[in-house]
Amino acid sequence: MRATEALARGALLIALLAPPAAAWAQAGDANAGKAVYERKCAGCHGDKGDGKGPAAEELSPPPRDFTRGIYKIRSTANKVASDQDVFNVITNGMPGTTMPSWKMLPDRDRWNLVAYLKTFAPEVFKEAPKKLELPKEVASSEASIKRGKEMFEAIECNKCHGAEGRADGPSRPELKDEWGHPIAPANLTKRWNFRGGSSRTDIATRLAAGVLGTPMPAFLDAVEKPEDIWHLTNYIVSLGPDRPALATLVTVSAASGAIPDDPTAEFWKKQTPSYIPLMGQVIQDPRNFNPAIDLVAVRAAYDDKQIVFHLTWDDPTESKGDGKQTFPDAISLQFPPQITASTERPYFLMGDDSDAVYLLRWQQGKGVGEATASGPAKIAALDGGETSGQAVYANGQYRLVMRRPLAGKGESRPTFRPAVFTPVAFQAWDGGAGETGAKMSLTSWYYLRLEEPQSNRRFVIPPVVTILTLAAMILVVRAVNRAR
Amino acid sequence: MRKAWTAGSAAALVIGAAMWLATSVGAQGGGTIEAEVKYNGAPKVEKLKVNKDTQQCGTETEIDHVMVGANKGLANAVVSVPDAKGAAKAKAVVDQHGCKFVPHVVVMQPGELDVKNSDGILHNLHTYSTANPSINKAQPKFKKVMTEKLEKPEFVKLTCDVHSWMLGWVAVVPGLAAATDANGVAKIDNVPAGKHKVEVWHEQLGKMEKDVDVKAGQVTKVSFEMKGK
Repeated sequence: MRATEALARGALLIALLAPPAAAWAQAGDANAGKAVYERKCAGCHGDKGDGKGPAAEELSPPPRDFTRGIYKIRSTANKVASDQDVFNVITNGMPGTTMPSWKMLPDRDRWNLVAYLKTFAPEVFKEAPKKLELPKEVASSEASIKRGKEMFEAIECNKCHGAEGRADGPSRPELKDEWGHPIAPANLTKRWNFRGGSSRTDIATRLAAGVLGTPMPAFLDAVEKPEDIWHLTNYIVSLGPDRPALATLVTVSAASGAIPDDPTAEFWKKQTPSYIPLMGQVIQDPRNFNPAIDLVAVRAAYDDKQIVFHLTWDDPTESKGDGKQTFPDAISLQFPPQITASTERPYFLMGDDSDAVYLLRWQQGKGVGEATASGPAKIAALDGGETSGQAVYANGQYRLVMRRPLAGKGESRPTFRPAVFTPVAFQAWDGGAGETGAKMSLTSWYYLRLEEPQSNRRFVIPPVVTILTLAAMILVVRAVNRAR
Repeated sequence: MRKAWTAGSAAALVIGAAMWLATSVGAQGGGTIEAEVKYNGAPKVEKLKVNKDTQQCGTETEIDHVMVGANKGLANAVVSVPDAKGAAKAKAVVDQHGCKFVPHVVVMQPGELDVKNSDGILHNLHTYSTANPSINKAQPKFKKVMTEKLEKPEFVKLTCDVHSWMLGWVAVVPGLAAATDANGVAKIDNVPAGKHKVEVWHEQLGKMEKDVDVKAGQVTKVSFEMKGK
């Protein structure tokens, strides 16, 4: 009896002390990994692991060249990524790049891949990875965020990442990676695109150890006190949401007073934005595989005469364009020319020959205007409209107001009516990144709805209902009492 | 066991004494190598406009790829005598001053390098090397000096990503060495008498070597003519 109990206890102890399954799995089989690599990875990263696969040319940032053993995302104090680091990148992918998550592959396959990737740079992996020790964690607080901002300014993060973190720093155009490819700094307000993850530990680790092969240096010894790494982390986290709450519907609020033209006006700050994600246009040539603008925040208001749109989007450079490599920054809202109850809508990519679209657009240097389009190459300006607007560019961000009458003049301009689901789509161009014409970011159709004007009835009907209900209850109670 | 230890320490003492003798004899009985490095080609200096930190960096700057002085003397070439060992005179230092690495080429023996930031703005020391671990460390304004280890002989490129024009080199050489001045001249003192191989290296023009016979107490002249690549 005793013996069995001891045995059981021993077994339990062994079970408790045994490393988790992942640690067992770490010893991947490079040969098995090769087979997976050739099926899943070689298309971009190349048979030789040099990052020169057939698809590599179109990708920015370019696929990793494994032959130098330089891994951006690592949790180590030396230059060698740990197996777990490489495994994590395979598993989670690299947000904001074309590297997808490979979670769908069995764990075994991913560990085998890790083993195989290491064989591309055996010299580098001779050295054992050394675990990076982060300073003691500091929880986020108002004081910590304030200290983080001070440190952000003292260590001049703005040089690359910009004063408000939107990747618009003065050194941005000069930045190159270790292979000589141009490389963009991270937009710190869009944490969901951080290559190595957006948790506080991820951010603190990148700050402390740097991002290998890129201009991002290690800051562990370059802050005043070690815990400043956490203050900086807390400040960076305070710059934007974990991820944007993407909208499915844009609500246009009914304004009771004047709707300001100034994009920085308090009026607009009070409106709730709808976040609309944009994708690169990859249907027609020239295609845009690496779109610069991936998100637009839309606010809108109307009154009995006009509708006013307020758009906010990040763009690291204010570009008027030289016409050769750079072009004017631009954005447009797209609507069907007539808003009907039909579910048929024009082709989302700026319409086609049978169904045109109406565009309310803004271009750097030209201002707000209207156009009709039957495809990205067939755009004709609509003159004689009563549009106006104003754009402000500051710290890597545009804020734009576009105004037009509710009623559309002629066949090509829609008329906006309250409570009608109105199709809307968006297109944006970062001219500074060489986007123009069909080379754009865009959305497919969304819906826009002008909220019904709020009448005073909402202040009258509920109290009346309450009073009537109460009265009815009293009557019932009385009736019952009398019946007794 | 104890015997072995005693014998070992005795041997160490003997070797130590021999080394001391060798170095002191070398110092006393050494000669000087005066190397003159010439380049027949055109200088290569890249000029560019500065868009930030103009107070420290100026509004214009230049990248000194190939600097040619009087009599076609090639500046910033490193002349070394790999087999001539000798103590380094002082700790190697490179300063980031005016958004340039000063000096453009630092010559050092394997060991420590002090990296100063007298500009008082953010620089990041980003090295390109293969033998030594590459470095990419931020050096903000309050970090006046960083000490880095370069323990393997190598020519290490220094860059700064904040100011992409900044370019410097660290020549980590095992033996005695010096960089040429603006006139292309480098002097190496205390070279032990005897036959030596003298090497010259330039960041753009590559390497050359020559044999010299150094005589104690004398200046041995050697000249190189670098060819453009």
